Amino acid sequence: MQIEKGQISSSQLVLLIVGFIQGSTLTVTFSYGVTRHDTWLVVLTGLAISIPFALVYIALVQKFPGKNLVQINDLIYGPYLGKLFSAFYLLFFLSLSAANLRYLGDFILTYVLPETPMIAVLIMFTFVCSWAVRSGIEVIARCNIIFVVVTTVIVGSTFVLLLQDMKLTNFLPVFVTPLKDFIHGTHVMAAIPFGETAVFLMVMPYLNKIKHAKSSFMLGLLIGAITLLTVTFRDIAVLGNTITIISQPSFEAVRLINIAKIITRLEIFVAVVLLVTFFIKISLFYYATLLGTAHLFSLRSYGPLILPMGILIISFTILIADSTMEQVSSASNIWPFYTIPGEFLLPSLTLLVAKIRGLPENQGGKFR
Amino acid sequence: MILLLVMAFTGVTLYEVPSLIRKKCWRELFVFAFLLLVAFIPSLLLTLGIDLPTWSRVIEYVFKDLLRMSYK
Repeated sequence: MQIEKGQISSSQLVLLIVGFIQGSTLTVTFSYGVTRHDTWLVVLTGLAISIPFALVYIALVQKFPGKNLVQINDLIYGPYLGKLFSAFYLLFFLSLSAANLRYLGDFILTYVLPETPMIAVLIMFTFVCSWAVRSGIEVIARCNIIFVVVTTVIVGSTFVLLLQDMKLTNFLPVFVTPLKDFIHGTHVMAAIPFGETAVFLMVMPYLNKIKHAKSSFMLGLLIGAITLLTVTFRDIAVLGNTITIISQPSFEAVRLINIAKIITRLEIFVAVVLLVTFFIKISLFYYATLLGTAHLFSLRSYGPLILPMGILIISFTILIADSTMEQVSSASNIWPFYTIPGEFLLPSLTLLVAKIRGLPENQGGKFR
Repeated sequence: MILLLVMAFTGVTLYEVPSLIRKKCWRELFVFAFLLLVAFIPSLLLTLGIDLPTWSRVIEYVFKDLLRMSYK
């Protein structure tokens, strides 16, 4: 039984992953407080750590073509344990979407609409996301193309415009971060921008040519990492050590653009980037949660569940932390551990169990 | 505020339920009602101003105090 009828092409998958990782360009902030001016190194090590796990996701999807995470869990662990793991994943995706939404709400409340209650921002944003989710994965993938272009153009142009303000001495001294901090920063980086691609376990099965999943996923990861690296490089080169005390380094760095007093105040572009890329990110999490719920209860469509799930996400977002500070400190100290089971442990375990049980080669014989 | 909340939930119900009953999707209707109830309880408690444990405090308890896994 297939709930999602739509299909996405390989290039759309590449762009979805790029857009997804570009959505995290501002959440690099969580690493800045830990590794300071060595954060650009942390982006590289985080990418290096997440590549093997990305290979695990791809291997899982290619082993069970056309089956998403919930169906794979059912096949591998049996109906009861599989449902338990799937329920865990649904809660995980729900909390990730709530955390991302909370980050967006905090940003908008701090910089754009300081007097508005957060709930108003959240309701409007979730409404747009639910509209996108109702239209299906094909529509999300298609409008994502525009957003990736917008983001890339803005990141590239701000990088060029800030070239005159950059001081390469801000990178010195290199490699002085203590090993413990470096591991901490790498963990945050691997967990938040890169590890969240675990959500593609729910999206990748709808790729029309499943053979190309590997190259598409890797290309997307690489382009996303290059964007992250560009942003990190720009922020560190412009702001130097002050990045550790500023809550939104990208915003403050772009604010410094001043070309002959004509091209100034471009920081709203950063807010635009945040809005459009978080739209993609939250829509994907929302979509994964809905599709997973529909598969878990073996429904015919996820349409009727969209609005209750949206309300649930909004109340979860309010409930995720009392204040911005609590959210930031939890995100950089505890959240990385929270994501270990969902992003790294369970997919690897699932692949291992599939190998041991000899699935899915024996599907026609012993196990059926 | 509570009136607004109840109105919003009634609106969602009126929007989704008739077509579900017409199509005889009982399973969908059951899951819909369950999810709506799960969504209604925290929103009602939040509207009443009751202090609920936040999710970051919950995971802090599990990971920092029970499992001793935390930086700092």
